[in-house]
Amino acid sequence: MGTFSVIQEGPVNALALNRDNTQVAIGGRNVFKVYSIEEDKFKEIYNLRSSKHLNLSFSCNDISWSLIDDNYLATAATNGHVCVWNLTKMGKAMQEQDYQEHKRTVNKVNFHSSEPNRLISGSQDGTMKYFDIRGKTSVATFVSNTESVRDVQFSPHMPHMFAAVSENGSVQLWDVRRPDKCQQQFTAHSGPVFACDWHPEMTWLATASRDKTIKVWDLTSKPTLEYTIHTIASIGHVKWRPQRKYHIASCALVVDCSINIWDVRRPFIPFAAFNEHKDVATGVAWRGDPQVFLSTSRDCTLLQHAFRDASRPASKANPQGMSLNNTGEVLYACRVPANTNLSKMSGLIRKYSTSTMNNSSDQFHLASSVMHHFQTTLSQEPKCFYSLALNYVLSGRSLTEMCEHNATVAKEHGKSYIATVWRIVKTMYGEEYIQNSFNSHGCKNNEDTVSHTNIPAGNLALASLDHSTDNERQSRGGDTPAAQCSGGDDETETEDQVDHGLLYNNGFTSYSNFRLGLPRGDFYFGDNELDIELDGLNTVADFKSSFRNSQQLGEQQDWTLPNEAFNIRHEIQNHSPPPEQFPNQNSPDINDDAPIAVEDSAAQGVLTVSNIPERCVWDPSSIVISALKYHAMLGDVQTAACMLLVMGDQRRLLTGLDEATQEHWLLGYIELLGRYRLWNIAAQVIKLSWLPNVTQLNQQSTRINTNCGKCSKPLQRAGWLCDRCHTSEYALCSVCHQVVKGLYAWCQGCSHGGHLAHMMKWMSLNKTCPTGCGHSCEYS
Amino acid sequence: MFEAQEINAEHKDLIHDVAYDYYGERMATCSSDQYVKVWDQNSEGKWILTSSWKAHSGSVWKVTWAHPEFGQVLATCSFDRTAAVWEELVGETPCPAERGNRHWVRRTNLVDSRTSVTDVKFGPKTQGLQLATCSADGVIRIYEAPDVMNLSQWTLQHEVQCKLSCSCLSWNPSLSKNHPLMLAVGSDDTNPANGGKVFIYEYSDNIRRWMKTETINSITDPVHDISFSPNLGRSFHLLAVATKDVRIISLTPIPDNASLQSGLSKLEIQTSAQFDDHGCTVWRVCWNITGTILASSGDDGCVRMFKMNYINSWKPVAVLKGDGSHISSETQRSSISSAAGLPTPPVSQTARYIKLGTIAQSREVPWH
Repeated sequence: MGTFSVIQEGPVNALALNRDNTQVAIGGRNVFKVYSIEEDKFKEIYNLRSSKHLNLSFSCNDISWSLIDDNYLATAATNGHVCVWNLTKMGKAMQEQDYQEHKRTVNKVNFHSSEPNRLISGSQDGTMKYFDIRGKTSVATFVSNTESVRDVQFSPHMPHMFAAVSENGSVQLWDVRRPDKCQQQFTAHSGPVFACDWHPEMTWLATASRDKTIKVWDLTSKPTLEYTIHTIASIGHVKWRPQRKYHIASCALVVDCSINIWDVRRPFIPFAAFNEHKDVATGVAWRGDPQVFLSTSRDCTLLQHAFRDASRPASKANPQGMSLNNTGEVLYACRVPANTNLSKMSGLIRKYSTSTMNNSSDQFHLASSVMHHFQTTLSQEPKCFYSLALNYVLSGRSLTEMCEHNATVAKEHGKSYIATVWRIVKTMYGEEYIQNSFNSHGCKNNEDTVSHTNIPAGNLALASLDHSTDNERQSRGGDTPAAQCSGGDDETETEDQVDHGLLYNNGFTSYSNFRLGLPRGDFYFGDNELDIELDGLNTVADFKSSFRNSQQLGEQQDWTLPNEAFNIRHEIQNHSPPPEQFPNQNSPDINDDAPIAVEDSAAQGVLTVSNIPERCVWDPSSIVISALKYHAMLGDVQTAACMLLVMGDQRRLLTGLDEATQEHWLLGYIELLGRYRLWNIAAQVIKLSWLPNVTQLNQQSTRINTNCGKCSKPLQRAGWLCDRCHTSEYALCSVCHQVVKGLYAWCQGCSHGGHLAHMMKWMSLNKTCPTGCGHSCEYS
Repeated sequence: MFEAQEINAEHKDLIHDVAYDYYGERMATCSSDQYVKVWDQNSEGKWILTSSWKAHSGSVWKVTWAHPEFGQVLATCSFDRTAAVWEELVGETPCPAERGNRHWVRRTNLVDSRTSVTDVKFGPKTQGLQLATCSADGVIRIYEAPDVMNLSQWTLQHEVQCKLSCSCLSWNPSLSKNHPLMLAVGSDDTNPANGGKVFIYEYSDNIRRWMKTETINSITDPVHDISFSPNLGRSFHLLAVATKDVRIISLTPIPDNASLQSGLSKLEIQTSAQFDDHGCTVWRVCWNITGTILASSGDDGCVRMFKMNYINSWKPVAVLKGDGSHISSETQRSSISSAAGLPTPPVSQTARYIKLGTIAQSREVPWH
């Protein structure tokens, strides 16, 4: 039997099946029909509204079909009538009885399942009437003492018992022989109860309410709540599924158009759902068979549902959860396999025939998850990232030194391939390389720099180009001291070299050896070092200008440079703004200079080297770019971003690398640093950045609103003077009552604070504000 | 390290999602029992339940954390057809003794969907507070909180109709300005005749609308989870898909003039890897934060981890058993079916995992 439907003239309120489930009666405001149910369709046999004498009695709230005599139907009418219909008669005679006893709408009628001719009705007027349909009036009236009765159902277990549910949330159990007083009454729900249904086998009563729950009560003795099902909407109807002890069908009063079948043992998710209706379903009737049921809906249809067409929300539900964190730990929650549950249970309850247990519907309710927390023993990558981020030097030293340092750091972490990339960058763009390439013509190389001579001689031109740019960078470094990590006003790279030279002498002997092997250019720096210490700021200027001059003169005249450096120093002392302070203006000059240098060297080189004209400029940038891109692709954005940062202005030479990619890398690195709470390094990266989109990151959300510590009024002016209190004394440190210079820490809850150290000390011992204002301060 | 640490998660039904917060220090779980729970680790690394509340009137499918810049904020979605945004309030509780010093309040309930809301995800931080939801009737909704300080006000910005039932979605987290906002949506539609089950949507700044740019036609089986890899510097995107197997799809933007005009990028779609190691339905896929390791979990009750060695070469590196009974790290098992077909060198370093503890969930099965 499949799913099929028939469309009606109007919304259908109720349905009732006959004794052998072959015919169905449906009723609504303007629908009242009987259909026979065939293999794949409904066939209309009666249309009771075809009568000429239509009145409100034909508008049904509910229908009941006698289970003893197949010819009798009862309806509950909206006008308060209870009508009994005899299907063997014709025309007006069909309406055999018309009880006009209820004062308001009748909500339910229910034929007794075993006693013939017995009928009960429940009405909005708060009463229930018991009828013998052979009589003209009711046999008994039951007064519920509640506002209205929404459902009445004869118990299939106790012949004289019926249950009534009402809008005040209570359930009453009545004996038909005792109309004076109900047998039992209990409050079942926190809202109106709209429906109830007796379990066909157990003495269970299911109740459905506007409080979005279905409750199952065991009424064997005292009413006990067995199960509660939480649903997404008010429930209008419930019906136990035959032959399935724990299954119950429900339809919602609003919102939810689907008919859900629940396993009461798993009260959170429907066992099956039927979504065919376009509007809320108003009634459900099982055809005696657990696989087939009929339903009516406000969408004007009568539908037969086959269970095989049901959707199973639980099977679509994801039974697993998983999450990875930044240290490589894994959280994993998964469903406990059904057999595990079985074995657990068989321990408790000796034996179960596995054949029944393998049935999926029997295991449906056995839903539970286990959750595990896995930690890696070798979570190398995150630790390595963290350590590298802390130890990399990104600014404040010469490119060569930074590369060498970072390479050493990378190697210490077992990242020899990253160390190699650092060394390549050093080789390509470092100061030593530039000097070495000059020296490769004029003087002998030491063993450490021999490898540099392997670089094609064509690098000469590039080198001078590099050198000029490098020079510009140095001048820039002097101009924008803020960009330098250690931050002195007159700091230059030469000064740094002094520091780090010492550092290396202490810590890195191999490196100092390397430096001893440096060619003559470095002695030149060495000469200046003494002066720098003596002369301070001025030295910077003349160092740079001298250095520039040295470049323009070319390598052949290098020997004269120290003298020139001294001479020019005194001249420039008189010129207050050295031209290098405008790097943007200077840069084109320098770029102009570079070809000159090339020409010079070429012209002079002709004398000594035969094949210089054939040399073309070899640009290492493409190789460096692809190396960086490769690392970024591998997920190692740290390397890519740090190298860009360390290269400083040399990265201009990486013409093949668009700004968007550079920005992507920097943002990626900052994001990762944030994940590890490395805010200081992230701030350093932002500060060192050359891209507007990155630098503005620390310009956002910098506004701080402050309140007066006494009157809590926002401080409008700069400083701590309160407009209302006319004093700033409440801005003193609440611990030492001194003016706070520098970092002021305060609680955003009570506006009191003071020196960071004092507040930390206080809060480590106390929980409330040091001013005694009673606030439990929060410092996060 | 091996000390048994058994905590009862006390969810009364299946746990559908677990989520680490941004820093990987807190955890949220959600379950069919309609509860959401938040856990913190104490100094000994033991997970302590800090909050638990009934979040919905239906199964809670997903739970996800917002970027901590916006506060301690969670979003959940449920079978009850709603998605909700929650914020943790610390201190200033009316009855601190009862509930500890922190509790979660519902900031908003998004009720636009007419069917089960199957996934909810916060957008990239750079976009402010955006929230995408998808539902079983195939509608993708993008919400935005115009004022990040006011989490109770969300406006429905976009509604995109996807022709199949949606089961999961993922934002592309790329930080590059070259990459337009991108969403991938997976469908659990079971009919292979309905074609591809993964859809890529991009936001066009020019027309201010979300447009479907691609359908991944190679995946016709139901998709249960989908996840963009963190893209911290790659020029292409990686998308992991949990279907009957684990797929890694690479999406490479192709620059052309048409895409410049529309503001949408044309993508070249390739399957980078396909793993059938689970041998059954794969339910979840999850990336580590650098996008170098992919973890997947399936009906075999295992978490399997895959690592990229070099371009387009992915290799299984570890297996974690979900019941904690046996943990193996696999190095030599080569069940890789890399699309590139390149030989895979043995990985020098394999992650070994040990079980720290079990959060068992001994639901008391009512029996009659």
